[in-house]
Formats: sequence, C-alpha cells, structure tokens
Amino acid sequence: MVSAPSPTPEDFHVTATALPEPEHLTAVANRPPLPVKMVIAGGFGVGKTTTVAAISEIEPLTTEASITEVAAGVDDLTHTPHKTTTTVAMDFGCITLDPTLKLYLFGTPGQDRFGFMWDDLVEGALGGLVIVDTRRLDDCFAAVDYFENKGLPFAVGVNVFDGSLGHDLDEVRWALDIGENVPLVLFDARERGSVRDALLVVLELALARAER
Amino acid sequence: MVGSAATTEGPYGSPQVRPLRPYVMADDPPPPPLPAAPEPAPEPEPPAPAPEEVSTRSSLAVRPFLLTTGRVAGAAELPLETQVVATSDGLAALPALTFEQHAIVAACRVPLSLAELAARLRLHLNVVRVIAGDLRTARHLAVYVPQASTAQDVSVLRRVIDGLRAVPDSRGLPRDSDRPA
Ligand SMILES: Nc1nc2c(ncn2[C@@H]2O[C@H](COP(=O)(O)OP(=O)(O)OP(=O)(O)O)[C@@H](O)[C@H]2O)c(=O)[nH]1
Ligand SMILES: [Mg+2]
Repeated sequence: MVSAPSPTPEDFHVTATALPEPEHLTAVANRPPLPVKMVIAGGFGVGKTTTVAAISEIEPLTTEASITEVAAGVDDLTHTPHKTTTTVAMDFGCITLDPTLKLYLFGTPGQDRFGFMWDDLVEGALGGLVIVDTRRLDDCFAAVDYFENKGLPFAVGVNVFDGSLGHDLDEVRWALDIGENVPLVLFDARERGSVRDALLVVLELALARAER
Repeated sequence: MVGSAATTEGPYGSPQVRPLRPYVMADDPPPPPLPAAPEPAPEPEPPAPAPEEVSTRSSLAVRPFLLTTGRVAGAAELPLETQVVATSDGLAALPALTFEQHAIVAACRVPLSLAELAARLRLHLNVVRVIAGDLRTARHLAVYVPQASTAQDVSVLRRVIDGLRAVPDSRGLPRDSDRPA
C-alpha cells in the first residue's frame, strides 16, 4: 500500500500529501500528525481511566460528549427501540508515536445499560479493548456485544486488581461467551508496559484482519 | 423486553441474531433526552452572537447550544480526533472573534484534536464541532479530517504497532526487550 496518508484539509480536494497548502491556510504550526484512535471500554469502575492514564503522555482529559442510548424496552406498537441522546463524560489521552503519528485512546463512559451506541467514538477506530473485572464479569457484556456487532477488532483485557485472578482464563472466556478469535489477556491497568502490551494484542488482530 | 431483543431487531438496527448474554437491567430510568435539536442549518450563518449573549457565557454550561444558535453537529461529521490548526487569517482575525471562536483559534496555534479542544475549553464536543465548522468556513481554521479507511490501512497499523512497541514500560524497557530470553 501507499505510505500512510496524512490528513488533508477538506477545504481543498487534494489527494497527494505533499502539496503545499494555499497561502491563506498557511499553517502557523507544522502539519498535524495523522491521528489514529483506539477505544477503551468496559463497565463502571473497571479501570478504564486508569488504563488511559497509565500510557497517555498527557493527564487524561475529560470532555462532554453525546451517546445514543437505546432504552431496554421497545415501543409496544412499532417494536422500535426508543433512542435517546445522553450527554456523558468521556475521557481520553494520547501518545505521540512519532512526529507524524498520534494515537488517541478514548475511554467510553462507564455503561452497563442494555443498549447504547458509541458510534461517534468508534467510527474510524483501529480497535477496542474491553476491560473486565472478574468480580463483575457481566458489566462488560454490553461492550463486548457492541464491538462484535460493529465488527471492530477487539480484545478483552482482564484487569487483575489484586494481582490474583479468581478464575481460570478459560472460565472467563466461557462466561463471556466470546469466540476463540477474540484475544483474552490478563493485564494491570496501572502498568504502562502491561497496557501497551494489551493494546498491541488488539493492534496485531486489527493488522491480521487488514492483511486478509 | 431485554430477552426478546436478541431475537427481534437488534438495538443497533441490525436484524442479526446474537448469542444471548444475560443482560444486567438498569434499575434507574433512562436519563431525560436532550431537547430535540433541529437539523444543522445547510448554510452556516456568519456567527454574530449579540454581545450580551457572549457576556452570559458563565451560564452556558447549562445550555451549551446557545453558542451554536441551536445547531448541532451531525454525528457522522468531524471525528473526535480531527486535527485543527489556526490559519494566519484566523490569528489575524482574533480580535474580531466571539469569545468561544477566539478561544478555539488561539488554542490552535498548535494542532489539536477536537476532543482536546473541547476538554481544554470545557465545551461540549458537539459545540466545538459546530463552531470549528464555522471557523473553517470563514477560513480561520484548517481542519484536517481523518479518513475512516485509515483504520484498515496495513501500513498505518504497522506504524502504530512499531511506535507502540517502542513505548517504554515503567522500567524504561520497550516491548521487545522484556520478553524472556
Ligand atoms: N488495586 C488496583 N486498583 C485499580 C486497578 N485498576 C483500577 N484501580 C482502581 O479502581 C478504581 C476505578 O478505576 P478507574 O480507572 O477510575 O475506572 P473507570 O473504568 O474509569 O471507572 P468509571 O469511569 O467510573 O466507569 C480507581 O480507584 C483505581 O485506582 C488495578 O489494577 N488494581
Ligand atoms: Mg473513568
């Protein structure tokens, strides 16, 4: 493939990446890096923010964003799920991988409701990491379902809170009802190297898919 | 109800039948919807909020879409990681800009993502999207929109993997050096 395209201002329909920019848009800064993103999901308090903080080069930032939520019930007459838009706090961090490439990590808002849509966050994401606390496995079902449904490459990361895992990994896999094709890893959300390696598992999966 | 959702049309608009995970029901009622927002105006108006509107910004956290005169950003436009950079025109125009426009252009002397901008300026992401769109139209901001296809680009994925492998762990070791020999 061609080398990675840098993003191009939409204002001019250039396709080459090396074209000089018109003077009126002369950058007051260097060309921005190519931004890529990954999504960190999971139930409440499983360590999403801790994970982002462990590897981000900035303190995790929080912003108000909107997610679409599908109410658990459906309309009796139309069988259409109710959809509402909810404003949530979303946190994120970033890692400058090189001057031309910046990885953003977006933590989904803690969410254990039945239906929710992070389409806004997930659109264009390289992959996702679903964090699981084995004491509350079911908190992650919504995230697993969502990523499966979206076809986003993802791995499940078991955050080992106390350094010990109460279950066998195979038991966890069985309980989560995830296929063999979904990587399941143990990691420590507080350890940068551990978070890095969990993210790499997701990226290797994404690469394997992209190469097919 | 919940059980049937896996066999009827799925919550994501897909009729796919999914394995049933025992969903946890939330006890609390769903949060109130946002006020119904109109479709984004097809033509962005030149943003010209009245001075008194600008001076009430301390209360804008409650009604953020006053800032955008009720317009909301479409969910599909401008991804969170979209990079924005001030133009020289934008910097020259700073004195004439509204408070929020000014804040955005001034912050974008270095490239920033929309998400970073929103977080730093404590504005709702969609508010930033709308205002950044206006500023782009006015050529005060250069907006670099990433393409979703980047996520499946093998060369990009390889670069991300290589870059991340080189990130040292808390002992200062990159990925490949802490493997058992
Ligand atoms: N001992 C231990 N504590 C952890 C670990 N990971 C997270 N914590 C703690 O667990 C708590 C919740 O972690 P967060 O990172 O805030 O979890 P979160 O998923 O962002 O939570 P919400 O955003 O509220 O859904 C914090 O007090 C963390 O310090 C871990 O691996 N070990
Ligand atoms: Mg959090």
